[in-house]
Amino acid sequence: MSLEQLAVVSAPQITFDPKYPDRVTVEFTPTVPHCGMSTFIGLSIRVRLLRSLPQRFKIDVRVKPGSHQSEQALNKQLNDKERVAAALENPALLEVLEQCLSTAGRTPHED
Amino acid sequence: MERIDRLVRTWIASEQEQEIEDTVKEIEQGNANLLHVVKSLGEYLTSEEDDLRTKGVEFLSLVIARCPPEKLNRQSVRTLVAFYCGKLEDTETIIPALKGLITLTKLPLFTSIDAVEVAKALFAHVKMNVLVQSQRFMVFTIIDNLVANQREALKNMGDEFIRGYVGLAEGEKDPRNLLLAFAIDRVLLIEFETTKFIEDFFNITFCYFPITFRPPPNDPYRITTEDLKAALRSCLHATPAFGKLAVPVFLEKLTAGSPVTKKDTLDTLNVCLPVYGPAIAREFARKMWNTLKLEIFQPTDNVTEEKALKTMQVLIQTIYAAPAEQADDAEIEGLAKEACEECIQILREPEKSQAKHAIKVLCAFMSTTASVARFTLARAVPHFVKLFLDPDELPNRTPTLRLLADLIEAARESTSHDPEVLPEEGNVPLSPYKDEVIGVLTVGLKTPATAYPAIDALKSMVRTPGLLTDEELGFVVHNVNEVLQQDEDETDLSEVSLDLLCTVSAVAPSHVSGNTLPLLFSALPDRAPPRDADAERIKYWRTLASLKKLCTQPDLFETLVIRLSTKLDLLCVPSPSSTPTPTEDLEPAAAYAHSILKTLADVLSAKIELGHTDVVKYIDRLVPRLYNLFILSAIGAEERPMVATDPRLLAVAAQIVTLVTQTLTAPRQETFVKSVFAAYVDGDVSQLTEGIQKVPAGKRFSPLQPGASTYQKNLLVLFSAAVIALHKEVTLPVPDEVAFLDGLLQWIVTHAENALQREALMHLIAAVVNRHAEKLDAFLSSNIDGFWTSQIANQSASPEARRNAISTFTWLTKALLVRGHARATQNVDRLFELFDDEYVSWDAARAVGRIPGTDKVLTKKNHAVLRILYAQKYCNSVLPRIIEGAKASANSPRQNAYLVALAALIKSVPKSTYAHEMPSLMPLLLRGIDLPDNEIRAGVIDTLHAAAVSSEKDNAIIAEHASSLVSTMLKNSLVTQMPSVRVRVAALRYLAILPSVVRYDVLHPQKATVIRELAKVLDDPKRVVRSEAVEARTNWFKFTG
Repeated sequence: MSLEQLAVVSAPQITFDPKYPDRVTVEFTPTVPHCGMSTFIGLSIRVRLLRSLPQRFKIDVRVKPGSHQSEQALNKQLNDKERVAAALENPALLEVLEQCLSTAGRTPHED
Repeated sequence: MERIDRLVRTWIASEQEQEIEDTVKEIEQGNANLLHVVKSLGEYLTSEEDDLRTKGVEFLSLVIARCPPEKLNRQSVRTLVAFYCGKLEDTETIIPALKGLITLTKLPLFTSIDAVEVAKALFAHVKMNVLVQSQRFMVFTIIDNLVANQREALKNMGDEFIRGYVGLAEGEKDPRNLLLAFAIDRVLLIEFETTKFIEDFFNITFCYFPITFRPPPNDPYRITTEDLKAALRSCLHATPAFGKLAVPVFLEKLTAGSPVTKKDTLDTLNVCLPVYGPAIAREFARKMWNTLKLEIFQPTDNVTEEKALKTMQVLIQTIYAAPAEQADDAEIEGLAKEACEECIQILREPEKSQAKHAIKVLCAFMSTTASVARFTLARAVPHFVKLFLDPDELPNRTPTLRLLADLIEAARESTSHDPEVLPEEGNVPLSPYKDEVIGVLTVGLKTPATAYPAIDALKSMVRTPGLLTDEELGFVVHNVNEVLQQDEDETDLSEVSLDLLCTVSAVAPSHVSGNTLPLLFSALPDRAPPRDADAERIKYWRTLASLKKLCTQPDLFETLVIRLSTKLDLLCVPSPSSTPTPTEDLEPAAAYAHSILKTLADVLSAKIELGHTDVVKYIDRLVPRLYNLFILSAIGAEERPMVATDPRLLAVAAQIVTLVTQTLTAPRQETFVKSVFAAYVDGDVSQLTEGIQKVPAGKRFSPLQPGASTYQKNLLVLFSAAVIALHKEVTLPVPDEVAFLDGLLQWIVTHAENALQREALMHLIAAVVNRHAEKLDAFLSSNIDGFWTSQIANQSASPEARRNAISTFTWLTKALLVRGHARATQNVDRLFELFDDEYVSWDAARAVGRIPGTDKVLTKKNHAVLRILYAQKYCNSVLPRIIEGAKASANSPRQNAYLVALAALIKSVPKSTYAHEMPSLMPLLLRGIDLPDNEIRAGVIDTLHAAAVSSEKDNAIIAEHASSLVSTMLKNSLVTQMPSVRVRVAALRYLAILPSVVRYDVLHPQKATVIRELAKVLDDPKRVVRSEAVEARTNWFKFTG
């Protein structure tokens, strides 16, 4: 099952304001309010976008309002540049993250 | 005599082969007989010394084994048998004695009396447990010989033989011996009176079940587990008497065994149950059902589940097959009834996962006996119908219908054993329920969720021979049409509905052509929707797609052709009354006409794939109408704009003409070509065209005349389309083919106005040259020579004209190359001469590369003359030359031409032809990337990519050039430096693959640069480039040491 199939992420949850063409807001819905993987899901989304979008974009990753018990803390953590950078310097964390993202692109030799 | 004496003595001392052979030779030549041998051996045979006695008997056995049978008479056989039987008592001589007996028991002179004696002696004296494997093997071989040759005598021995044999066979462990023992067991069980000993036989066979033997590595006898299993199985089902004892064993193995044991047990049960008979099956029915149920409802794996279902079927068949087709259907008692009730009980909750297993059991029942099948349907179908109609069960309609569909499909499978024999009316098991089932299914069609299973079920019903009447089929078609109409947003539903309609059209095309087709045709507008009417355009696309899927069936295709060609005429020919408006937008009409033509072409090619024979007749029905339309339009276009002058329409029409021509026989092609030539060469269109709108009498159709309009000249596409699929036996209706071809060649040079016309004639010339090269020597030598010197080698001609001439020349060469004609090589040599040319060197180089490429004209389907592996042969001769040329001198234009030729060649031949040259190609390809031609660059990068993908990890050549490759590819991927999208995509693909073929330490210095540069590419204006950039950048992020 992918996150898309679980409806954790979906196209309508990605929004951007035409007035600020370089800002993207990505919202995701944890499956349960006490989901422990939420930080990780948010981080994966952020890293994938960091790698796939030109640098001019400013990305906001948030959980859907009211869908998680520690919504505030989570949003703060996910949009804190320092903490994201620190997380990415942790080799163990990075390895798990790569695993999460391993199916994000095409599988090699697919085309 | 003395000689024998001497030989015997020598052998006893030396034990050499030679003496035995010499002795046998003596006997063969009649110089001695066996009596002499025995006499000479005398002292040894009776010697007090064990060793000598053994040797004596051994020698005798060896001699007998090699002695020709005719040298033994009845008397000597008799004596020898008695002698050997006596020797069995002696522990020292038993082994050679057994050897002797093996030979003797095979002899024709060996009689029943001997057999009994040998058997008795074996039983009396041979102790199996003191013998080694090979000796026991001899014992089994002797018994096998006896059973094979002297069965009656052994039968007369009665219990004594059986008891004796069981004694010998007990406790055997060696696989080689067991194979023999099982074979003997089977014969004894089938032919001998074994009732008293059934328990003994049970013990010496069932103790081996299940076989867990695993052959040791390097087994010299090569006995596999399968051999043993099969041999044992053949014993286990040798007699019904085993039944009572065996079934409990099987059941025990089934409950306790490993998956492998389970499968083996189930397979064995499948063959055993029919032999054990209905009485046993009935006795253990309950227990077996309980055990099998476990395997079916909680399966360990699919294979076991399937086998369990199969065993279930066998069980039911065994129980109910016996009372030869019960007349009264109601009298199904016992297991089938109980199991069926049990399943129906589970099926009350169709949404539960257990229901899937239950329906499998019922489906399995369908292919057991007719009475059980009828009984099952009588229980299950009304149950499902009731369930479906129950308002409380509304949410469960989808699973209910799914289960019903499975059951109907199983019922269909069980009836359609012989497609030729139609069952009698009403004899189809499902017949009594078909009305209610169709009722339920049509209700099911109304909602999307239930429509899928309903359509599946209907399809199974349609495919059941003799089930639905013609009227009912009409009803089904009518209901499915509604589904098709309601399905607005192109879901899979229309896909499956069309599939069902296709199935119906295979049995009853009239309903589909009578109901569905009018519906679809009426959905097609008569006039093309204007440019901005996207929705309507999508609608006609969909309708045409449906028609395409549906109309492969011959009757339907006929209707399709009539309706679509009428629509086409309507669309393309303006009514004479309407005033021509020069500003009229013809594009939408052309697009619509293109879709219609494309539909026809696609269905035609699908029909040809399927081998339909009715395609042929469309040479009279469709092709003349097309010619009529296009010729009419071309002539009309001189006065007012016409839709059917669009080159894209011409291309599809040409495809249709070629497809139909392909299927014709040579004589029919000949007449067709005559009419085509009459029109194109002589201007007589009457034979070729046919249609309501006639070509105006005053106008002349003369596309090959110098003064003809562009529209007329464009129609050469349809001229060529008719010729390129001709058989090689067909001659062109012209007085002189050489002059004709030369005329066309000159026409290309002097009169052709655009690439379309040029290509059409090039294809035509190539096709004719390919078929008739042997008759065209004059053309191939002098005319082509002339063409070369005047049009290509001639420096004063314009580069553009020379380029066109080169491509004509390429086609000519290609036509010769594919048929393995010698002149192809000469032509290629000439192209090489141009590599120094200032203007056309690259064109010549590309031509060299493109000649062996595949195309749509010179194909097998078009009946071209093809030699196998022509591309490989070409590559073998040209590739070394190109490599050499490219290496020869640095930085000259000539060398670049070689690189261009290389890039083009690699693109047009299969990879295997140049794979072995890859190491020497790599440096050249790397230089090729720098050539200032985007097409070539992209081709080279693609080749590098393909080479990198297929090369093993740590490719030395790539690693060596890694850093330069990275910087070149980065340059080629930036929109600021590389305008071609194709090159950017190719370069990014190559960058994406690099991390997986080069070691990290080699590329480590590049990583930061690549990631930084690719960040810029992420902002590329083209979406496809951006997505490739994401892929490449991700790979580089992940690339760590």
